Amino acid sequence: MDFKPSPERQILFDTLKKYFEKEYSLSDRNIAAHSDLGYSKKAWEAMRDLGILESLIDPELDGFGGTALDISTVFEALGRGLVVEPFLEVGILAAKVLSKGNDVQKSLVKKILKNECLPILAHSETDTEYSKSFVETKLSVEADGSYKISGAKRMIKHAAEATHFLVTCRNTGDASSEAGISIACIPTDREGIKIDSFATIDGGRVSDLTFSNVSISSEELVGELGMSYSIVSDAIDTGILAICSEALGIMERIKELTLEYLKTRKQFGVPIGKFQAIQHRMAQLLVEIEQARSSVINATIYFDDETEKEKTISAAKFSIGKIGTLVAEESIQLHGGMGMTWEYDLGHYAKRLVLIDHEFGDEDFHLQKYISL
Amino acid sequence: MDLNFTKEQENFQIEVRSFLSDNLEPQVVEKVKNGIPITKEDSERWHQKLNEKGWLAGTWPKQYGGQEWDVVEKFIFEEECGSAGAPRIVPFGVGMLAPVLMKFGSQEQRDYWLPRMLTGEDWWCQGYSEPGSGSDLASLKTSAVRDGDHYIVNGQKTWTTFAQHANMIFCLVRTSTEGKPQEGISFILIDMNSPGIEVRPIITLDGSHEVNEIFFSDVKVPAKNLVGEENKGWTYAKYLLTHERTGNANVAVSKRKIQKLKKLADDAKKNEQPLSNDPMFASRLAQIEIDLQNLEITNLRTLASVENGEAPGAESSIIKILGSEIEQDIDNLTRKSLGKRAFVNEPDALSSGYNGAEVVPKAAAYASGKYFNHRKKSIYAGSNEIQKNIISKLMLNL
Repeated sequence: MDFKPSPERQILFDTLKKYFEKEYSLSDRNIAAHSDLGYSKKAWEAMRDLGILESLIDPELDGFGGTALDISTVFEALGRGLVVEPFLEVGILAAKVLSKGNDVQKSLVKKILKNECLPILAHSETDTEYSKSFVETKLSVEADGSYKISGAKRMIKHAAEATHFLVTCRNTGDASSEAGISIACIPTDREGIKIDSFATIDGGRVSDLTFSNVSISSEELVGELGMSYSIVSDAIDTGILAICSEALGIMERIKELTLEYLKTRKQFGVPIGKFQAIQHRMAQLLVEIEQARSSVINATIYFDDETEKEKTISAAKFSIGKIGTLVAEESIQLHGGMGMTWEYDLGHYAKRLVLIDHEFGDEDFHLQKYISL
Repeated sequence: MDLNFTKEQENFQIEVRSFLSDNLEPQVVEKVKNGIPITKEDSERWHQKLNEKGWLAGTWPKQYGGQEWDVVEKFIFEEECGSAGAPRIVPFGVGMLAPVLMKFGSQEQRDYWLPRMLTGEDWWCQGYSEPGSGSDLASLKTSAVRDGDHYIVNGQKTWTTFAQHANMIFCLVRTSTEGKPQEGISFILIDMNSPGIEVRPIITLDGSHEVNEIFFSDVKVPAKNLVGEENKGWTYAKYLLTHERTGNANVAVSKRKIQKLKKLADDAKKNEQPLSNDPMFASRLAQIEIDLQNLEITNLRTLASVENGEAPGAESSIIKILGSEIEQDIDNLTRKSLGKRAFVNEPDALSSGYNGAEVVPKAAAYASGKYFNHRKKSIYAGSNEIQKNIISKLMLNL
């Protein structure tokens, strides 16, 4: 038995960690994350040069990674850095979907690596419906064999800057049925698309999208008509693994920040970390964080096991949701007033950690799913 | 990352499994699986079977009758025993005193005491806690004063598990009041049949008799029963405690208990449906299952680091906290799942001499008793608060 990452992955993690510590200042990040763009193009380009995207993508599409362990390693590092640039949206969600497409679509993955395009998956439709198969956006077949899509997507991150949308839509079946789901890959300047963007609490921008009779050709479908649920599902599962790992990196960084604070902040003449009431809360956090890490390791181990995958993914997302909120709230409490300030790093990590529970299904959703499996 | 057992480890697992299925007594397994206490004789028969196979003290060196199991083999053995519902090996001799004698005892002590642990000639108990010294163990007061070839021991020990069965006790005693409290403690072996020893039972809230108080009045103990050096006992005690705190994950036992609980919930009815379909119940159960699954990995991570040569530090404290709390959660939900049947308390219902009415389901015989009895798990072996102190000191450096 051995739980250590391979030497190559350890080097990758260490390199990224050092890079973020030196080159990715939180104050610059916060300005970019809450700007009109929602991230920094300069930082995005600099980080791409490090090969982060390649490490998320299969060798056959010009990457050099893409396994569950690669993804988990990289996203833990991204979490430590509180990176807001669209690695999840482009490097995981869009790239996973496009890798199942035709040659033109596959070539978009290679273009992602060359910074020639920014495709974004437009899937989620309602605010509180987390089911992966929930799609009401309508795909209608025209007389000439071409298609039109109409519907609305909500809370699509980094959509305003996208070059392509990968729009899920259905021509048959109920709103939550797995059968009948298609994906259309279309340029974002196609007629009939409306984009309304919002600022977010944790950084980056989100958009609501409206599609009104948007024309698409049959070559623009990713996969077969009505048969693309498994493509979306696989992309989202990979996304869950990625943000669970991101959450681990955030928790580790929060642990460091909090410990440092407990050792330096003095009250009643001693560092507050000398008080047992504080020590026990912190010790409990450490215990919980180790359990969170184990849940992600478990999901990584079973990621390629079709029978165990969904159950371990849901167990991990549940654990991360429950423990993440606890770690965020406790670390703010342990920092006292300092934890409440915009200027100090902690609050920004805490916000992202809590909001991760709102992505791809929260702890209640995944607990119910775990029970149903 | 590689989570698989080696071929040898897999073969060992198969061997253990088949040994257990050939040798466990069904009526003892039934008691264990229903959470009912087993008797001294049940334990002794099982110890003897294991000893014939050479597995009573598998981690011991070969020269003393062990197999030199490493942490993974020990883990495999314990997990298989846990799943099968085997009685737990009573740890005080083979698991606790033996490592101390091997590291700090004289050759004469090893040659005399170790074989007797295997044959069952001695049943050991542990004399650590005192009425005024629980978590603050180093404040202990039971004194041993040297008098020629003997020590004269006076004082009181408490919470002594199975003292009613034991013929020997290893004790921490005060041999000096100079310096720090830790510096005046010695480790000594005392015959329970010595004049001046009185054992009084402590009945716990569930009505069971596991623990005792022991009174020492001018008890004469041969000086050759001192282990190691006088006043160095605290070092030996700490060494022993690290052994006591490993193996507290109890993953296999907890898994087996969850299976049992699921069965109970399938058979019980709520709103005319199986209890297992009740969303509130299903949610409680699923959360425990996920916690346990996470603990299994946390535990394996610790094992793997020990296997790869890293010393187990405060990780065993993490495991102790989680293992005890998860088992308590299962006992809690088991009690709830029985509804009104949880009032019943007939812990002897599966014993041969029982002639009362049959308890159905069997698990109800002692479910509430077990729940209350297992509140001890977060208190003993270093309370969970003490474990947090250890984590704060050793892992967080606070």
